[in-house]
Amino acid sequence: MAERYSSFRSGSTAWLLQRITAAFLVVVLAFHFFNLHFVTHAANIEFAGSQARMQNVGYFVTMVLFLVTATFHGVNGIYNALVNQGIEGNAKRAAQVVLGVAGLLLVVQGIRVAIALAGF
Amino acid sequence: MSTQTPDTETESEAEQPSSKPHHERRLAEKRERAETKEAERAAAAQEIKGETVELKVFRFDPEIEGKEEPRFDSFTIPFEKGMTVLDALIYARDQYDSSLTFRHSCRQAVCGSDAFFINGRQQLGCQTQMADLDWPVRVEPLPHQDVVKDLVVEMDHFYDQMEAVDPFFDPDDLPEGELEEQRQSPENRENIKLSTRCIWCGACMSSCNIAAGDNKYLGPAAINKAYRFYMDEREGEQKRQERLEIIEQEHGVWRCQTQFSCTNVCPKDIPLTEHIQELKREAVKQNLKFW
Amino acid sequence: MSQSYDRGLIEDFGRWREFTAGMWAWVFHKFTGWVLIGYLFTHIAVLSTSLQGAETFNSTIQGLESLALVRLLEVGLLAVAVFHILNGVRLLFVDLGVGLESQDKSFYASLVLTGVIVVASVPTFVSGAF
Repeated sequence: MAERYSSFRSGSTAWLLQRITAAFLVVVLAFHFFNLHFVTHAANIEFAGSQARMQNVGYFVTMVLFLVTATFHGVNGIYNALVNQGIEGNAKRAAQVVLGVAGLLLVVQGIRVAIALAGF
Repeated sequence: MSTQTPDTETESEAEQPSSKPHHERRLAEKRERAETKEAERAAAAQEIKGETVELKVFRFDPEIEGKEEPRFDSFTIPFEKGMTVLDALIYARDQYDSSLTFRHSCRQAVCGSDAFFINGRQQLGCQTQMADLDWPVRVEPLPHQDVVKDLVVEMDHFYDQMEAVDPFFDPDDLPEGELEEQRQSPENRENIKLSTRCIWCGACMSSCNIAAGDNKYLGPAAINKAYRFYMDEREGEQKRQERLEIIEQEHGVWRCQTQFSCTNVCPKDIPLTEHIQELKREAVKQNLKFW
Repeated sequence: MSQSYDRGLIEDFGRWREFTAGMWAWVFHKFTGWVLIGYLFTHIAVLSTSLQGAETFNSTIQGLESLALVRLLEVGLLAVAVFHILNGVRLLFVDLGVGLESQDKSFYASLVLTGVIVVASVPTFVSGAF
């Protein structure tokens, strides 16, 4: 069974995660847009208001999850688009590294912003 | 090469002195008939009575001067009821330009030789009615494949991908008893029925944008072939696992973006996208088992 | 096969009239995807002004929102996001094996619905900018 276990990242994991994050994002992105353009108009956004929202732990956690899932979904999407176009060899390795690093940086920076906005 | 039998008779045949005048007369009549036929044909070539359709065909031949750069040749084809694109091409080749080259064989949509790009869509020449198309009719070779000459494309890559999924039957063990059959239930047959219809024409692969961009992608036909065996209950468990491992590689089922072009153009109406989707779900299920 | 002729992509954008619904869906989903991920990076960058304190954050946001161009771009962002969501839902159904017979109709439905939602949202989005 050892060899079977090591091959479980066959491509099905990324595929499944893309769909799961998609389902999550459909709801949360719609909610985010609604919240920040209709409930509160974009022009009325200011630090105090954001802080009030972010200090709610549930909201904070949702936003962080939102960030992580969106980053995964987007970066994985880009990677797949490149593979579909036929990227291979060194270019592929480079893309994997660049995308991985960019995604990681985005998540780290996003969490820093979240903490700053919440005032934790 | 004209498909008509030569209209000559060997004159060395049966020459009896007693029938010489008759023989002479017959030969004279024969010559006259041949001449009138030739004249008629020449006239017909210039002025075809009845409805005609313009057929624009992609021409390319790296060995012939003037055809090194692709161009379109126009042929005027007399339209007959029930005429297919293949009929029109054969007419053009026989009457106008015998260098027009294209693959065809059965003319009844089972051999898969004559898949072309007709009016912007992959279709079998023998299966497409001229009357169903917008005129003038444009015939091009299948897209995303190298053109060898005129409408003939390189099919090697397609065949390679088909071979890559091991398109053969492999039960774990044979049934006991020499005359015992390998049974398949009617329900199981019904499930895979559509996937068995593939005629290897290559239309689906040439319609897929992913297959065009990613050379390593197996393609809808190959994955459908894998489906045909994977879902067959007579297949051995060992081979099933091997087959699954082949198609769940990076350039297997995961490349499919559900564009549905393959399903749209398949001349045998195989729901290719659906089969690929089923295999994706199957791969996910199999992998989840080990969590 | 040095003799054979490589025509490149036949189904390039020059032949857009021959595209099927499924193909348009794929093209738009990719395009909107790129826009959205590009926006995500920009968005986090803009929000990063919060790390420099409330005043910087507020003035940045309000400064951007006062520009009519930004307001229009936001409408564009809405269109892109809504289409990606709706077509994404369509794709999720396809992946589950539901409704494959009407996959092209559901694409047109997502386009129409995107249009409706965007048009309905324009007043809210551009209020105060002009």
